[in-house]
Amino acid sequence: MLLAAWCGLLALGIFWVQSHLKVSADLRLFMPSPRTEEQRLLIQNIGESPASRLLLLAIDGDEPAKTADISRRYGAALATREEFAFVANGAQPPPGIPEKLLAYRYLITDSFDAAPLDEHRLTAELEDRAADMASPAAGFLEEWLPRDPTLELLHLAQRWQPRAEPHQVDGVWFAADGKRALLLVQTRAAAFDPDGQTQALATLQDQFSRARGDSGAQLTVSGTGYFSAVIRNRTQTEATWFGSFDTIGLVTLLWLAYRRFVFTILGGLPLLTAGLAGLAVVSLLFDGVHGITIAFGFTLIGVAQDYPIHLFSHLRRDETALTTARKVWPPLATGVASTCIAYLAFLMSGVTGLAQLACLTITGLLTAGLTTRLLLPRIAPLPGTDPAQSAWLARLDRRIERLPRPTALYFAIPIAAAAVFLWRPEGFWENNLSKLTPVPPELLKRDAELRKELATPDLRYLLVASGDSEDDVLAALEGLDTRLEGAARDGAIGSFEHAAQYLPSAALQKKRQAALPESAALKDMLARAVVDSPFEADVFAPFLADVERARTLSPLTHADLRDTPLNLRLGSEIFSRDGRWYGLISLYDVHDPKAVAQLAAAHVTFLDLKSASEQLVAAQRSHILLCLEIAAALLIVVIAVTLRSWSRILRVLAPMMLTTLVILAVLRASDVSLSLFHLISLVLAAGLGLDYALFFEHAADDPAEQQRTLHALLVCSATTLLVFALFSLSTVPILQAIGITVSLGVLSNFFLALLLTRERAKA
Amino acid sequence: MGTQALGQAPDAPRGLAGLEQRLARTPPVSTDFVEYRFSHLLKKPLRSSGSLDYRADGVMVRNVVAPVHETTEVDGDQVRITRAGKPTRSLSLQRAPQLRVLLGSFRALLEGKLTPLQKEFEVTLAEEATHWTLTLKPRDPVLAKHLARIDVHGLGDKPSCLEALEPDGDGALTLFTVAPAGNALPSRADLEHTCRATSTQGAAAK
Repeated sequence: MLLAAWCGLLALGIFWVQSHLKVSADLRLFMPSPRTEEQRLLIQNIGESPASRLLLLAIDGDEPAKTADISRRYGAALATREEFAFVANGAQPPPGIPEKLLAYRYLITDSFDAAPLDEHRLTAELEDRAADMASPAAGFLEEWLPRDPTLELLHLAQRWQPRAEPHQVDGVWFAADGKRALLLVQTRAAAFDPDGQTQALATLQDQFSRARGDSGAQLTVSGTGYFSAVIRNRTQTEATWFGSFDTIGLVTLLWLAYRRFVFTILGGLPLLTAGLAGLAVVSLLFDGVHGITIAFGFTLIGVAQDYPIHLFSHLRRDETALTTARKVWPPLATGVASTCIAYLAFLMSGVTGLAQLACLTITGLLTAGLTTRLLLPRIAPLPGTDPAQSAWLARLDRRIERLPRPTALYFAIPIAAAAVFLWRPEGFWENNLSKLTPVPPELLKRDAELRKELATPDLRYLLVASGDSEDDVLAALEGLDTRLEGAARDGAIGSFEHAAQYLPSAALQKKRQAALPESAALKDMLARAVVDSPFEADVFAPFLADVERARTLSPLTHADLRDTPLNLRLGSEIFSRDGRWYGLISLYDVHDPKAVAQLAAAHVTFLDLKSASEQLVAAQRSHILLCLEIAAALLIVVIAVTLRSWSRILRVLAPMMLTTLVILAVLRASDVSLSLFHLISLVLAAGLGLDYALFFEHAADDPAEQQRTLHALLVCSATTLLVFALFSLSTVPILQAIGITVSLGVLSNFFLALLLTRERAKA
Repeated sequence: MGTQALGQAPDAPRGLAGLEQRLARTPPVSTDFVEYRFSHLLKKPLRSSGSLDYRADGVMVRNVVAPVHETTEVDGDQVRITRAGKPTRSLSLQRAPQLRVLLGSFRALLEGKLTPLQKEFEVTLAEEATHWTLTLKPRDPVLAKHLARIDVHGLGDKPSCLEALEPDGDGALTLFTVAPAGNALPSRADLEHTCRATSTQGAAAK
């Protein structure tokens, strides 16, 4: 009856969580809230800068002419897709000023900044045009000369074109080897949005198989977003595979331990309830739950599988399950409470993702503890066997009894650990975010090669201008132009690109406007300049009209450029966030980062995404460590209040503390640097150690109880070890870090609790 | 290119393939030229002269000596233009696909590779005894807006004159010969007559 109600509630819970849970994939949930301007820019730009959202594509495997055809079809098809902000393969027309805005060229161009448009300049330009008329290009220039005798449109087109374009075959980009067609697409999804990237990659593949037709050509994709999708999908595949394997292992282990299938099923109920309760609370308290929170939270809640095991192993045929539950409750409750305190540290960490993780885990563990105490005993059947009666367990117990109690370990382990830390003082912490998700070297090599061919902007260094309005930012960008050009001349950078090159600030546009000659004056100048030229006198009327229009236009704004190809570039280079405007300066071929850092000014920040993110990780970690220290102190208080005896406190805390040292020493000895995931795993392992010690301590010197506790802890540690030993075989570094840390923790905690915490049985 | 017309052997192959055989040259190839541009923008036709070289390293060089010194080097897709007293300008033909086709056709004529021209142009050949006229009509509609057709006139194994006609009636006429002395500017009709009259000697004499 109770079982049916419980199952019914679970079903309802599953239904509710499914309809209310919003899973988010924004990795920034796992980053600390920014405090400085630089950190705010960093968080914004990680994975969102135009450079990081580029995917590099190569097509090869067919003859060049056919490959070029495929690239053209493919590029055209991709350009119509929502997933991409822009597509480039060399076939696109260069960015230009739309026809209706052509007169604005005199406000956009920098041609007359140094010296105004005067008779001298016009005479020189007309001489040049006369020479141009004697060139093979004359036929193409004739169309524009009457309107644009100074060739401002050509000047702007050259200024706007990518600095070093790839080679071309049949009008589309090709690698230098002439075999691979190259394309560049910018995803709308951020680079670290694996869902968005997976979707974009699926579209890329799908459109490619259509564009390819029956050709044998192959598509190669590279780029930051591609890596994040690949790694996420690999993590998911491995985690799913481990998950299924673990479930089979757990069921087998539980059956072996209790020989009745009903225990296996009942044993899963608290865990399932815990997971659902955790998810429900997190989705009530937070807007969206990160995928990592869910995956990782379930790993942490997995500890709750131990709770029913403690109950089952202590069940006796001569007492009710409720009585047994009441007996195991003190150590169980202490264990649950202290583990929850440890996770409180993450709740206080100031990192949304970690707070979600803590919330999920604490709710889950409390739920599992309470259901094990209150509900499970009411539906548990009588046990098939009592571990206290088991012959092999009794033999094992006697052997353990004969083992020495190595109290020397209290000193030996800290000394050995200190020696290891002294021997390897460098690289204790892992600050490099990318080390956690390393990309296979062959993929990195291919990426570097494609980036070189496609001349993409630098991924690591960036200058960011900010201001209260879009125009402020444009002015700040312009203010930096002279120094940027200087840096390019000195070879510190290859070149640069920013929004003010397309859209000058209103002030600069007005200044240029004011410098343009008046209609009558310009007409006179032109008349005098034309006399000595081979050109007819009246052909330049459209030019006069355009300059006059330019003198009266109100300055060009971003809004005027909406629905034009220029907006594509502007949109990713200048934008507002939370009421403030930002303009990115993309850098190409950064040779001297120090010189670029010198360019930072009042409203211009130099961003080294790599070192800034490392600093951020370090700052985040010291904050988390502080929270953990506070949690540890709280935990000791709880244990002290519960046990009220120095020797008992020492025996309960020793395994977990020594184990933490053992794990740290082993990891350091194998030259592993510690990441956030190691820290979380250490807390998990410490929680396990505390549970083991509490139960061994609780059994005191009663041989029967000791034997039941031994049984319970053997099953507990075997199931936990099974799960995490598999994780440590993973090829995904995060999973492997968790697996190794917790497996080591289980082994060390179990043996230390056995040797240091368990009392010698009464004779 | 030699300046002396070769008599055509009676069994010389005719048709495009035949002409291709006769025109085939291995770089370096060099020829003098004088070019007249007719444009509605100009008070009078603009005359320029110099030489056209196709070097062994594959670079095509157009050397103008009058009215102003200017050297244009076409190296693959890169064009470098050097004008007297000015810094060298560089531009990429990738951004000017029509100009690339046009320059490509000049290069093809210089080394006599006519077959590849059929990709970009509709190529027709009219032959009368040793005189021939090769007509190239652009296939690309964008190029066709700027260039109606190119007529190349020649005698035996060498081209003598090239007429580029634009849809609006403007155009250019290039004689492959040394520029005549003096500033005399023949009428367009006279020049066209000379061009089509097949004899380079005739053009030079005018």
